[in-house]
Amino acid sequence: MRHSKGRGAFIVAFLSPAVLLYAVFLVWPLLQSFQMSMYRWRGVSRNRKFIGMENFQNLSQDPVFWKSLQNTGMLLVLAGVVTIGLGVLLAHLTDGAGPVRKFARAIYLFPQVISLVAVALIWQFQLNPKYGLVTDMLFRVGLPVRDPGIVRDPRYAFGAIAVAFVWHALGFFVLLFSAGLKQISEEIKEASALDGSEGWHRFRHVTWPLLWSVKRTAITYLLIHILTVFALVFVMTEGGPDRGTETIVSYLYEQIAKNGQYGYASALAVVVFAVSMLASLAVLAYFRKDPTAAAGARA
Amino acid sequence: MKGRQWLGTLALTAYLAVIVVPLVWVLISSLKTSPEIFASPWSLPAQPKFENYAAAWNEAGLAKYFWNSVMVTVGSLAVLIPVGAMAAYIFARYPFPGSKALYAIFLGGMMFPNFLVLAPLTDLLRRLGLSESLLGLGIVYVAFSLSFTVFVLTGFFQNVPTELEEAAVLDGCGHLMVYQKIMLPLARPGLIVAAIFNGLGLWNEFNLALVLANSESIRTLPIGLANLTMARQYQADWGSVFAALVIVMLPAFVVYWRYRERIYEAMLAGAVKG
Repeated sequence: MRHSKGRGAFIVAFLSPAVLLYAVFLVWPLLQSFQMSMYRWRGVSRNRKFIGMENFQNLSQDPVFWKSLQNTGMLLVLAGVVTIGLGVLLAHLTDGAGPVRKFARAIYLFPQVISLVAVALIWQFQLNPKYGLVTDMLFRVGLPVRDPGIVRDPRYAFGAIAVAFVWHALGFFVLLFSAGLKQISEEIKEASALDGSEGWHRFRHVTWPLLWSVKRTAITYLLIHILTVFALVFVMTEGGPDRGTETIVSYLYEQIAKNGQYGYASALAVVVFAVSMLASLAVLAYFRKDPTAAAGARA
Repeated sequence: MKGRQWLGTLALTAYLAVIVVPLVWVLISSLKTSPEIFASPWSLPAQPKFENYAAAWNEAGLAKYFWNSVMVTVGSLAVLIPVGAMAAYIFARYPFPGSKALYAIFLGGMMFPNFLVLAPLTDLLRRLGLSESLLGLGIVYVAFSLSFTVFVLTGFFQNVPTELEEAAVLDGCGHLMVYQKIMLPLARPGLIVAAIFNGLGLWNEFNLALVLANSESIRTLPIGLANLTMARQYQADWGSVFAALVIVMLPAFVVYWRYRERIYEAMLAGAVKG
């Protein structure tokens, strides 16, 4: 709106509540994280002591930190490959007419909108060694689950968390790739009419490259949301057994809630922040250029 | 090609089974007695035991957690939507020096995981006397939901044609009147999308609630459910734990079923931004 009578006052009045809330409860604590990471400070006491880089040095020698970073990274790769692969496949399968496809499109996002605590419990119960549905199915196909059960077995606990996460997140990737396929469907038709490709060949050489921007979104989304597995870890395994499912966030939670190590926890947060920023930038750089532009087909 | 199509339908059916079977299993188990649950995961209850729901709701304290969740979710939305809409309106219609940068800072909040600020945030709330309170949690929820809300609503306000407000200004309407009489009604679909999407997210929120509001009397549903499971496992009252799980999922399911097209819209809007 161009007329200027009272414009400035109106802007200030309308913007200040949001700016105030955002600055005080989000931006300020974020900046403080950086500051606190250089202090020794237990949450309950008032004395903080500046210790420079000591928290970071301790962190670099903390085997649990490395273990949790490794677990988080492994989950990211594992869940990334599975969700993107299945997401593309299911986006193809759910497209089209018929009652099964229609029902699929109506239901597939539901696991995404229920509480992660509920997701964790659904899987914990299904994998329960005494009455679990999945346990029973495994038993019937000759794969008996022994005590202490899948979730408490160091060999399988990590896999159980990964399965629960994929069950929760997959719908979003189906949605994302469905939208991507719809967007490029005309281009696919044109390109494959030119070179006469179809089936797997068409997917490999036409569809998959055209989906580049969707793949970028998918990976960025995973980077942010893989950290939400905390709720799954907290309910299903509490990071165990033997730290086998400890992730960055569950370790951060332990430092704050159990140990009250605010300074150390902030250093941990700063490192995660830096790593995730670098990873995001790497994703953006990798997908910066439209790889199909050279061939004359722009997505 | 016929064979391939058949294979596709089979794979799709398997996918649907993986989604639906666990949910149906939870629903059926919630009506069984503990011995029935242990006897076989596939069996139906001899007689549906609706008392499990009463036990979960009353004795296990789910009623209290439920109302805590309702209060904090509705309360947060009641502040978030007006505050977010006002800011979005400015970003969409009142450019000023630095407004682009400020908008970018707001969007930045969507990119970074909230738990990174838990330590300073806990300290801040304690100093403001807001720790371990639903009010404190609600304020934090508003702050952390602003990014997405402002982003979605700015898009909606940008799409309203300018002729309408120009005509209103000629009629002598001031800034506030144009906003209330013209822009808000036109942006209603956006407000609904923002409210549904944020509402679901806050209803399920776990990380912040666990750290900022974990006293027994103010627990929200996800925190209460997590605690309840840990406690009830030892009492071996499994039926009521399954019933609690159903009670937690039911509101989300109702909202999802009614508004799923809008949820798809909101999710794609949040995802396809850069």
